[in-house]
Amino acid sequence: MSQTAPIGEPPRATGESAASFAARLAARIDPADVTRRLTSASGWRRLLVALGAYAACLALFSFVVWTQGASPTGVYSSIYHSAITDPGSIAQIFERAVPFVLAALAVTVPARAGLVNVGGEGQLIIGAIAATWVALYLVGPGVPAPLALVLMGVGAMMAGALWAGLAAFLRVTMNANEAVTTLLMNFVANDILLYLLYQPWKDPTGTGQPESMPFGANATLPQVFGNLGVVVALAVAAIVVLVLTKTGWGFALRVVGGNQEAARRAGLPVKRLLVSSMAAGGSLAGLGGMLYLAGTQTQLLPGATATFGYTAFLASFLGRNQPVKVIFAAILFAAIAISAPGLQLVYGLDGNVVDILLALVVVAPLALSGSRRSAY
Amino acid sequence: MNGIEQALTTGIEGGTVILFPALGELIGERSGVVNLGTEGCMLAGALGAYAVGATTGSAWIGVLGGLAAGAVLGLAHAWMVVRRRADQLASGLVLWFLAVGITSVLGTSFVSRTVAPLPVVRLPGLGSIPWLGTILFDHDPLVYVSYALVPVVWWVLFRTRVGLVLRATGERPEVVAVAGRRPDLVQLAAVTLGGALGGLGGAQLSVGYVDNWFDNMTNGYGFIAVAVVLFAAWRPLWVLVGSYMFGVALAAASVLQAHNISVNQYLLDSLPYLVTLVALIVFARRGGARTPEGLARALNNTT
Repeated sequence: MSQTAPIGEPPRATGESAASFAARLAARIDPADVTRRLTSASGWRRLLVALGAYAACLALFSFVVWTQGASPTGVYSSIYHSAITDPGSIAQIFERAVPFVLAALAVTVPARAGLVNVGGEGQLIIGAIAATWVALYLVGPGVPAPLALVLMGVGAMMAGALWAGLAAFLRVTMNANEAVTTLLMNFVANDILLYLLYQPWKDPTGTGQPESMPFGANATLPQVFGNLGVVVALAVAAIVVLVLTKTGWGFALRVVGGNQEAARRAGLPVKRLLVSSMAAGGSLAGLGGMLYLAGTQTQLLPGATATFGYTAFLASFLGRNQPVKVIFAAILFAAIAISAPGLQLVYGLDGNVVDILLALVVVAPLALSGSRRSAY
Repeated sequence: MNGIEQALTTGIEGGTVILFPALGELIGERSGVVNLGTEGCMLAGALGAYAVGATTGSAWIGVLGGLAAGAVLGLAHAWMVVRRRADQLASGLVLWFLAVGITSVLGTSFVSRTVAPLPVVRLPGLGSIPWLGTILFDHDPLVYVSYALVPVVWWVLFRTRVGLVLRATGERPEVVAVAGRRPDLVQLAAVTLGGALGGLGGAQLSVGYVDNWFDNMTNGYGFIAVAVVLFAAWRPLWVLVGSYMFGVALAAASVLQAHNISVNQYLLDSLPYLVTLVALIVFARRGGARTPEGLARALNNTT
């Protein structure tokens, strides 16, 4: 039994030479059709929109920078320097990438199932709070470091999972839109953080700043390979990629995300999958909060994760919810984000200026992301 | 003035900050487009109003600046979603992020500037009604504008042809297209108008309610406005109720403090978000069936 030829291609006759087959195929191509496709209005328009969007973004950023009396070219080269050519920046980028990557994957995992998790910010904060509680109030200074750190990580992941899982649970039981509930819960999480830092957890021996007591040596990540948190985060990211692409659970999430009704009729436990995807996402963000806390800050601070969760959402969008792309997008965002202190110092720009750049990096792809077809 | 009266009076004032954006968001969502960037529109409007007010010396010209700033951002969202078919939730969030960055950079030079705020006008006659007069009719004029806007939005949406086309666009845009109208233009107009109203809410915040500008001053109120529209199930009168409920929750924090009832300030600050979340959860199931069909597709990520 000979194999059937793929649909749409003329079968290669037995004994026919490859050259003659190729020529026969080429003859089928209509040159007019090729010309039409290349010069079609939509093709050119797409290119124009892409270039226009990027140009407009750069122009807008330059304008904002210029109004503040800073030289746009200087700012661009400063960002380029801190992101690429500065030898000290690699460690900094990866340090910042820890919360970015994990919080971005926290968006990606539920997104595979069709849920929108805008709560990375709150989940990072809750994870950091749980880790602080474990570090300062559960384990004493006598507990060996590996055990203390693992307990902190587990606590942070559980807290993040509960915080995010609650939003998914409300979605499947009460039909409360998860994009809005996760967003609002971010603000609640931040208020809880401030409450803890201003009252019960405030360092009594500190400088009067709202900050927790510094962690003991056993609750601080050792500086191996730069920062152990980076290693853990990358390992976890790799596991997430494998779980999403190679396991039945990961596949089931995509089925649910593709068509919930079909998934339900195929016998998949849709509600359980939705809640578990969100909880898994929340646990990743929680871990991100813990790693950043124990690796970089070593004490709980207000505004510690300021807008990291939202930046991660943009990174997840830029990576189109493909886990590997999302990880790279998050690292790219970390590279842009770490230029903020330099811009503040050298040009006197507000630290949030990089938020503009991060948003603009996403605006252009966003403007091109939609399907070209229009029903009307 | 006792505590309750004070909470209600401030609640109306603060509720108006949410009422304008929520009405704008209601119009946009009725046309089938959700705008999480409402928060960004408010922020842009707040700075726009404050900056223009400080430069021209007139809070009223500032209000126009706020309207314009919100409209620009609303138009950007509309263009992305309607013309470029971008993901609605992502587009809104990106624009919010953009607004956070731009306003905090451009706003630094206005932090210490002062603007004469919108005047408080006690309405003649109505304002002298005991108790209610103080609560309802002793505010800045934008509050009275919002009183009028609620019935106007209701009337236009449910009693005019324009409103019918708008609502039809939110349900089945292809039907509107077959009927010879342009659903894309309807959505562009509705979302831009929604952005402008978001900017107006920001203006009420910066030159009316708190009379100041500081970084990220909207503090998630725009997201609350979106939530209010959801649990009000796209009905203007319920948007009014939800907004004032939020306003009272916001006012409760400062009133309780003024009366020396000691609850941690940050726990009180979370009250408006918690109240909104609870309302959203309680009413979401009931409101589900009322969701405009086109909007449901966008919200549930099924396109």
